[in-house]
This record gives sequence, structure tokens and C-alpha cells, in this order.
Amino acid sequence: MNGAILSDRIQFALTVMFHYLFPIGTMGLAPFIAWYTVSGTRARDANALASAEFLGKIFALNFAVGVVSGIPLEFQFGTNWAAFSVKAGSVVGQPLALEGIYAFFFESVFLGVFLYGRRRVSARFYAFSAIALWLGSWLSGFFIVATNAWMQHPVGYHFAANGRIEIASLRTVLLSPFAFWQYAHVITGALLAGAFVVAGIGSYYLLGRRNEIFGQRFVRVGVIVGFAASLIAIFPTGDRNANEVTRNQPVKFAAMEGIFKTQRGAPEAIIGMPDTQHGRLIDPVYVPDLLSYLAYGNFRASVKGLDSYPADLHPPVELTYYAYHVMVGLGTLFALLAGIATYLLLRRKLYAARWMLWILMLAMPFPYIANEAGWIASEVGRQPWIVYGLLRTSASASPTVVAGETVFTTIGFAGVYFVLGVLFLLLVLREISLGPVERTA
Amino acid sequence: MNTAAFTLLAVFLGAYVVLDGYDLGVGAMHLLLPRSDDERATSLATIGPFWNGNEVWIIAAGGVLFALFPQAYAAAFSGFYLPLTIGLWLLMGRGMALELRGHFANDLWHDFWDVTFAACSTMLALVFGVALGNVVRGVPLDSNGYFTGTFASLLNWYAILVGLFALGALALHGLTFAAWRSAVLATDHAQRLLQYLWIAVLALFAATTWATLRVHPPTIGPILWMAPAAALCALFTVRFARNRALRFAASSVFLAALMIAAAATIYPYVLPSYPVGSGGLTIYDASAGVHGLFAGTVVFAIGFCIVAVYGTLSARSMLRKSDSLDGPSTGAG
Ligand code: HDD
Ligand code: HEM
Ligand code: HEM
Repeated sequence: MNGAILSDRIQFALTVMFHYLFPIGTMGLAPFIAWYTVSGTRARDANALASAEFLGKIFALNFAVGVVSGIPLEFQFGTNWAAFSVKAGSVVGQPLALEGIYAFFFESVFLGVFLYGRRRVSARFYAFSAIALWLGSWLSGFFIVATNAWMQHPVGYHFAANGRIEIASLRTVLLSPFAFWQYAHVITGALLAGAFVVAGIGSYYLLGRRNEIFGQRFVRVGVIVGFAASLIAIFPTGDRNANEVTRNQPVKFAAMEGIFKTQRGAPEAIIGMPDTQHGRLIDPVYVPDLLSYLAYGNFRASVKGLDSYPADLHPPVELTYYAYHVMVGLGTLFALLAGIATYLLLRRKLYAARWMLWILMLAMPFPYIANEAGWIASEVGRQPWIVYGLLRTSASASPTVVAGETVFTTIGFAGVYFVLGVLFLLLVLREISLGPVERTA
Repeated sequence: MNTAAFTLLAVFLGAYVVLDGYDLGVGAMHLLLPRSDDERATSLATIGPFWNGNEVWIIAAGGVLFALFPQAYAAAFSGFYLPLTIGLWLLMGRGMALELRGHFANDLWHDFWDVTFAACSTMLALVFGVALGNVVRGVPLDSNGYFTGTFASLLNWYAILVGLFALGALALHGLTFAAWRSAVLATDHAQRLLQYLWIAVLALFAATTWATLRVHPPTIGPILWMAPAAALCALFTVRFARNRALRFAASSVFLAALMIAAAATIYPYVLPSYPVGSGGLTIYDASAGVHGLFAGTVVFAIGFCIVAVYGTLSARSMLRKSDSLDGPSTGAG
């Protein structure tokens, strides 16, 4: 163990959580851009193309910040987590390299075509570049989640004579069910966020009585996709994800749910504050037996609590518990909200329902919060392991890097990201206030 | 297999140097050549659609190193901790400058990002050169393969020489690219700059070759003199050929030949130890194991071919018209 570990962890959490804000934007907006570009090209609908171009500008800003904040992450495995890289690099490096070679090239080459090529390439190639952008961004998401899924639930490896973890089957690593459900859930979360952004911008235009053609389009598409995504986030993807966690990481599951004692017919805590000292929830509101049912499909099933595991295998309970409950709570609210909005849309009342438009506009940041909270539940809940069951986080940092260095670089990153975040917000808000350019077809 | 994996790694790094090299070079020359605000915008537009794709090569090369030689990745990256982190901030500054400059039509805003872009590009070229110099010279490693030197020990005379050489060579590369894609060399001032730069690069090339023979006596035969010879021919083509596209191609060959020479010098080490002869991490002891090396090398090589095909095709369709005709809808412009 070395003294730099704390600042290494803070640095990683800071940088990865900052980075993740921007892939949410790109993975969430890409499908809308592709849809508008293709339908606009086919139907010769100038306003659809203008919508695509407008969302493309927001996408490009997300992409730019995503790229600059993503590169440090890849290098951090070597700079800050050298012991982890030596031990597990044979496996972890594979999907990361695949991401660079198969996804990032694809995305950035076609983003160049999409942004600069409008008048240089044919209409068909232009439309193709929008689809490629979508594919590319979703593919990068896949490889990175596969990396993380392996760290959550290692498969397809063996131990070499020198004690290192070596990859035994690339296919097993990429196609593990854990990775599949995690990816499906992550993509759904990003799509949900993208849909809420689109609907939120549309609401802003309708409320301000400007760009109303676009406002209606954005609200319509955003609400429908948002409703679908919020249902899929709960079932099947959220449910299956929880199931994988129950089977493979029961301690994390107990911490997420705040189950301190092993019990039959475990209740689902809707709210309540964990008290780790006395091993109980304070002021809980329970739905009896529900948790047993959710986890095992049986109301009387026994659910293992934290007391079944030695204390040094417990993750930080409070953070895991709250993060998980924030995600699930918000997820439920999104489904309700988008459901009501869809109902109003079908009754043709939505565009005039200013109260609902206000809610939709103000809801924009919340899917981001849900996404980040989900990651905190998942990553903090994995502790004390960096590779679940195989390698502890405390044994993973670079042996030659000292705390003084990592504190310095953490402060540096915080400063750079602060500036970057402010610039990003400024430029995005500016694009939104400029708005799409209406055309006569 | 280990040699194939090493070769693949060198190919990725070489592609990075040749491709991102020209936009780094354009950056290093950014304040010297284009004078007016408009000229600067045009100059940036020539690299606008490409720089990000070029930069992916370093991400991919990092990934390939990580996947195939994890121990070398860990040792080098944690050993070069501060310089690398600072390099990352420079990369970030450059990316921001390229992407954000065009968003406001305001001179102050433009000036700020122009200077950021030029400064970050120049320092990056130096940092990369110093890093490469250290890898060729070897770095002090302990018995577990971790770096034991200090930050100051990375700034030795040889590495600094390589750093300057890298800066000069990339600046020349950027100039030949700019000359090919825009009218930037039209003035006498620019012509003179090109000539001086060329002479400096020639001198640095000679000095670096001599120094390399001293710090790291050659281990394998023919490639070691063929690569520098090819580089020399290419360098003369850069100066005396008439066709501008050919000049840029020659400059690319020049850089590629240098990278081949560097790779051949350190082989069979991925990260030699300093002083020379004290071992280091070879392509065998740093490797990712049998399946990892095999699967990685095959899958990455296939990926490389795919990227090369669609990258070239889309670059061709993008290059059909002159760059200055069409500004981007966002980004540099
Ligand atoms: C808008 C985003 C969003 C919403 C509404 C939800 N989630 Fe989620 N969730 C994520 C976004 C997310 C995420 C950020 O994408 C995570 C982090 C890691 C992962 O796999 O996905 C995640 C993780 C995550 C995990 C942990 C997986 C692990 O530890 O590996 C579970 C068990 C769930 N989710 C379950 C749910 C359930 C039952 C939801 C029902 C309401 C739900 N999520 C809504
Ligand atoms: C492939 C994707 C990812 C990988 C490989 C990965 C890997 C890691 C590593 C190496 C650590 C350091 C160990 C530690 O501090 O506990 C960590 C911690 C962490 N990661 Fe991830 N991560 C990934 C995705 C994410 C994402 C997308 C987020 C959130 C946006 C995230 C949030 C965190 C947080 C909050 C921590 C700190 C946990 C703690 O210190 O207790 N991770 N992760
Ligand atoms: C689940 C978590 C993550 C997801 C879904 C994700 C996804 C993406 C996506 C879609 C991009 C493309 C650019 C963009 O859209 O902004 C990107 C950029 C990048 N990401 Fe992440 N990322 C995650 C976490 C990480 C982590 C942990 C790493 C470190 C290994 C990383 C490394 C990178 C790099 C190097 C880039 C720049 C790529 C370029 O130049 O195009 N990402 N990421």
C-alpha cells in the first residue's frame, strides 16, 4: 500500500465522472441526429436537416470535451494505477485498445465528414456519416463498459506463473452476460438523458414562443423516446443488472439495498438512512417482502445481509446506498413524468400545457444525476476490490509515484476541468439561444 | 509473435507521428506564418476535419502498448509521471483551442486560442521528442521493472537533443503540409523560413544520428543504416522536389524512417534500461501472455487495415475541394 492511494482514487473518480458527462451527451444525441439527417435527406425536409445540424453543434461540443477529458483516463491506468496495469493489463488492455482502434477512429473520422463535409461530399455519404457517428459512439460505449464489466465480474482469464492475470479468451471477456446487461442499461441511461435534453430544449423554445416549429418537433420526439427509455431503464435492463449483481456481488447488493441482517422475506426500503455503527436503517419506509421477490422472484426467499460477510469486505455502505436510491428514485420519477407528458401529447394538449413544459425544461439535468449516481453505486459498491475478488484497490496504485505528485496533478485536473466546464456550458447555452435556422424547403 | 506485436506497436506509433505530426507542426508554426486573423482561420481549417482522427492514433498506440506489453506500459507511464500528465494538459489545451476558437467572432478570443494552440503544440513536440529520446537511451529500472530515476534525470542532453530534433522535424512536416493545402508559402518570408528550418533539421539529424550511435550502440544490422539513409534521401526530396504533394509525402517518409530506426535501435527491448547493457523490459518479459499477444496482434492488425481503408477514402472525399472554400459549420473557422 502506498500513501498516494487516496489522491489516486479522488483523481480517478473526479476525472472519470467529469468525462462521463460528455459521452452521455454524445451517445444520447447521436441517434436523434442520425434520425433527423436520414429522414431529412429522404423526404427532402429542410427543417429536419436543420434540426440535425443544430443538434450536431451540441454534439460536437460534447465530443470535443469528451475527447480531451477521455485521453487522461486512458493514460491514468499507466500513470496512477501501474500495479493494476501490470497485474491485469493483459485483460483490461484488450477492450481498451479495441475501443481506440474500432470505435474512436470511426467516430472521429465521420464526425469530421459530418461537420465539415456538408458541401464537400454527396448527400448520401453525408447521411451515412450521421449513422456512422451513432454507431461509433455506441460502440465506444460498449468497449469501455466491457472493460468495466470485467473488473466487476472477471471471466475468461487465468493466472500466469508470475502471478499476473492473463487473458484466456477475448470472446468470453467481450460477450459476458454481465457486460451485456450493464451495457444495455448504460446505453438506456444515455438515451434517456439525450431524450430529456431534446425535450427540454424544445420546451424552452415553446415557452419562449420562438423557433416553434423546432420546439414542437423536439418536444414530440424527446417525450416519446424518453418515455420508452425510462421504461427500459427499469425493465428489463435495470432489473437484469440488479440480478447480475445479486448473483455475482452479493455484498454490493446488500449495501445498495441497506440490508444489514440476513433475512427471509426481505423488505424493500424506499427511504431510510443507513446507520453502519448499529447496523440498521434509521426511519425506514418499507414495502414488506418486495426485495426478496425482486432479487429471487420469490417473496419468501432469504436475502443475505452485510452481517454474512467479514467487515473488511464491506464497501462504504452509506455512499453506495444513497447513490443507488437516488438513481432508482429518479428513474421512477422519469417514468411517471414522461408517461404523463406522452399522455398529454396523445391528447394533443402538450404544446399548450405550459406547466408541463416548465417541468420538462427544468428536468434536463436530472438524468445526468441519475447516471452519475448509478456509477457511484456500481464503482464504490465494488470496493475494496479493483478487480472483483482478485485484486484489491489498495494494492493497485503505482509504487513509484508519491502522494505529492498525485495531489498536484489532482489539483491541476480540477482546475482545468473547472475552466473546461464553464466554457462548455457557456458555448452550449449560446448554441441553444441561437437556435436552429429555419429554412423554406 | 512477440516480434510481430512489437512491429505492430511501432506501426501505430509511426502512424501517429506522421499524421498528428503535421497538425502539431502546423501548430508550432502557427504564430510565425499566417499573419492576419483570416489567414490563421484558413490555416486551422486545413487541419480542422482531421486533427482529432490523427490524435486517435496516440490513444490507439497507448491501448496497443497496454494490451500487448502491459508491464512496459505501466513502467513507462508511471515513470514519466509528471511529464506525461503535463503532456496530457497540453493535449487538452490544444484540443480546446482548435474546437473553441471559431465559436466567437472576437479578436481577443481568437488571439487567446491562437497563442494557446501554438504554445501547446510546440511544447508537445518537445515533450514527445524528450520521451522518445529517453526510451531510446534507456531509463533506470529496478528489478521489478519500475522506474527509479528522477524527473531531472529525464532531462539529459541526449533526450533534449532528440526533443529539439523532433520539434524541428515536425515543424518542417507541418510547413510542407500547409504548403500543400493552402497558399501559405507564397511569400518570400515563408520561403526563407522554410529554408532555414530545413538546414536546422539537417544539422539536428546529423547530430542526433551521431549521438544515437554513441548512447546506444546498434544491435541489429541492415535496418539500422538503411532507415537513416532512406530518411536522408527523403529529406532532400522535401527540399528540392517541385510537386507540393510529393514534398509532403517525402516528409512523411522522413519521419517514418526515423521511427523505424528508433524501433530497430531498441529491439528486442520495449523499454531498455539505462545504462545500456543493464537489461530492461524485453518484448518477452513485458508481454501479455500467449493468448493475449496472439488475439491482440491479429485483431488490432485487422482493425488497422480497416481504419486505413475508410480513413483514406473519407480523407480523399474531403480533400477533393480546396480547404479554404468551405468553412466548417462549427469548430475552427
Ligand atoms: C438515467 C439513468 C438511469 C436510470 C433511470 C436508472 N439507472 Fe441504473 N444505472 C445507470 C443509470 C440509470 C448507470 C449510470 O448507467 C449505471 C452505472 C453502472 C451501470 O451499469 O449503469 C447504473 C447501475 C445500476 C446498477 C448497478 C450495476 C452494477 O453495480 O454493476 C443497478 C443494480 C441498476 N442500475 C438498477 C437500476 C434500476 C432497478 C433502476 C430502476 C429505476 C435504474 N437502475 C434506473
Ligand atoms: C470502463 C470504465 C471504467 C473503468 C475501467 C473504471 C475503473 C475504475 C478504477 C481503476 C477506479 C479506482 C479504484 C478506486 O478508487 O476505487 C475506479 C473508481 C471509481 N470509478 Fe470507475 N471506472 C470506469 C467507469 C466509471 C464511470 C463511467 C464512472 C462514473 C461516471 C466511474 C466512477 C468511479 C468512481 C466514483 C470511483 C471511486 C470509487 C472509490 O474510490 O471508492 N467509473 N474506477
Ligand atoms: C462507461 C464509461 C465511459 C463511456 C460510456 C465512454 C464513452 C466514450 C465515448 C462515446 C467517447 C467518444 C467521444 C465522446 O463521445 O465524447 C469517449 C471518448 C473517450 N473516452 Fe470515454 N467513456 C467512458 C469512460 C472512459 C474511461 C474509463 C476511459 C479510460 C480508459 C475512457 C477513455 C476515452 C478516451 C481516450 C476518449 C477520447 C476518444 C477520441 O479521441 O475520440 N472513457 N468515451
